[in-house]
Amino acid sequence: MRILYSACLFAICTATASAAEPTAMAAHDHGAMMRSQSNIWTQLPLLKARMKGQDMAARKVIMQPQNIAADAIEAWPNDLDDANGHRSLTIGMGGAPLDKPASGGFQMLTAREEQDDAVRVASTVHYFGERGGKNPTTMFDQVKHELEIVPKPYPREHSRYRAKEDWQFSVRFKGQPLVGQKVVLETSNGSRSEFMTDALGVVLINVPDDFKPEEAQSKGESHGMRRGADLVLAVSHEDGGKRYLTAFNSNYGEDAFAKRDLALGIGFTLLGMLGAAPLLRNRKAAANKEENTNA
Amino acid sequence: MLNNLFPTLARFRFSVQIVMLFVTVYGGALLGSYTVDRISQALPSLSCAYDKMTGDHCILIVTQHQLHHRVGAALAKAGDVALNVFIPTLMSVGVFFMFFFFLNKAFCGWVCPLGTVQEMIYKIGRRIGRPLKRFTPENVGRVRPAKWLMLLVLVLGLPTLAGMGTVANELGDPFCQVCPSRIATTLLTADTEQLAVHTGTGINLFLGALGNALFGFIIIAALAVRQPFCRICPLLSWNALFQKLSPMRLVKKESHEKCEKCGVCEKACPMDIHEIGTAFGSKAFHEDCTLCGRCAEYCPDDDVIQIKFFGFKLFGSSRDYYKARVKFETPEGQPKKRVIPILRAKENG
Repeated sequence: MRILYSACLFAICTATASAAEPTAMAAHDHGAMMRSQSNIWTQLPLLKARMKGQDMAARKVIMQPQNIAADAIEAWPNDLDDANGHRSLTIGMGGAPLDKPASGGFQMLTAREEQDDAVRVASTVHYFGERGGKNPTTMFDQVKHELEIVPKPYPREHSRYRAKEDWQFSVRFKGQPLVGQKVVLETSNGSRSEFMTDALGVVLINVPDDFKPEEAQSKGESHGMRRGADLVLAVSHEDGGKRYLTAFNSNYGEDAFAKRDLALGIGFTLLGMLGAAPLLRNRKAAANKEENTNA
Repeated sequence: MLNNLFPTLARFRFSVQIVMLFVTVYGGALLGSYTVDRISQALPSLSCAYDKMTGDHCILIVTQHQLHHRVGAALAKAGDVALNVFIPTLMSVGVFFMFFFFLNKAFCGWVCPLGTVQEMIYKIGRRIGRPLKRFTPENVGRVRPAKWLMLLVLVLGLPTLAGMGTVANELGDPFCQVCPSRIATTLLTADTEQLAVHTGTGINLFLGALGNALFGFIIIAALAVRQPFCRICPLLSWNALFQKLSPMRLVKKESHEKCEKCGVCEKACPMDIHEIGTAFGSKAFHEDCTLCGRCAEYCPDDDVIQIKFFGFKLFGSSRDYYKARVKFETPEGQPKKRVIPILRAKENG
């Protein structure tokens, strides 16, 4: 059944695949093949993580490819010395279960779709909260596909991409930086913008502040991590008669000051300061006594 | 060479504090963004997880999260409490203890960024001639239970109840929401987000208002009161739970007759532990002690008070050291010279 499903996806994909220039994505209907699972906000390939189960200790992570026909999802560990760390996750009907490797920490996930003259890659990062993971920089530096978008750095624990913030990404082709390369950013809130890589192949992305007031959600907030939206970065490049398209997706949250009031914060701070002010009064007698002691 | 660089224990401690202030506040920026995930995440100091540049996390935020998300949630499912639910919490406590074993409560006196900030503000208070407000032996006992209450209610109780669904989810990490270190350390990285009060819900607003007011109070109070927040800090009580299990400790002679009339060490103690002057032996290592070593610096008799590690003396009181020390600074921390006289002159009319 699983093989049949994958074969069907591949067949539909092959029939509908065309040039993979991000600007032409709206007309490029890879999404049609997985419409039942796909978000319609983008036609770019995505890897979405879905949490299965309420209990945090027993929660399962299911990776779901969207807008891409891939046979498997490659999971890249932060510990490059872990012989069992790099796994090929088989995609079933509901997605591909992502197991936690011994190294825990950050995992890079990619899915690849290859046709005669086109290669499409979806990529994302998943973080297993448990300690023990290695610094993921070497994992990000590791070349996994021809065309790559790599976070530089990825938000660490207790952090995430947020509206109005600037974040850097490296864009490289066969391990070499792509200079002056156009990078497209799309969000599930409807924004679309373009950026260019610099002389080092690094692009500075400003996460758009595109949450509408009615979309601000109080439910589901958890220790300051408010619910957010999805973003995807995409870059395309031609080489040797092949067209490469790579996307990197993640989620992002509202602006740091959403549902926060700085003026009120300063006000309460000043109130506290006022409360402590009497401690600073230097009664004359006490002062004289202290002077005598010091003398 | 070392003697020239660090002529006193206080100078050495202050140097360590400044280095640790950089590690705990800016460590991520200095050592790499992901450093925070890799050192311990269970530091026995108020190293704030909300600081995006911090090098490590405080044990208290981890404890609150685990009680909130794991223990509390498991307790809610009666009979479904499995060992693997508690393992992460035990792991955090274990990692914390690996650090704590070697330095004991010196994490409070030498590493904690908020402790360092308060001490620096107190030094400013001395320089501008603000009065010193001390807790007396009669009233210091009133404030001491507060740190246990903070630990039981804000670090252990409410996060567990939030995990069980008994109280609101916003009470999952209530201590962090009122901790002045959250605001102080993030402001030191030029990040004003934590100064802005969270207005999402009534509980958010209440905790935010309380936290900001406490921060404001501490900043001003520290000009006149030594270590005002340390006295109610749940990490002080948390560390006190383990302080007898570490080979690093404060040691005082079993008896010394001069102590009755002296009391200089009491004046030197930034935590107003009057027992350091009256108690002997292991009782002198009080639960509020932060191992700053000032009592040993200002004890005028040889080796009456010592800081020992596995029985070896790291620092001991000495008459000569005392004489040199008081030439520059009183036991209360008042510099003998270089006080800016303007404000005091104004007050004295």
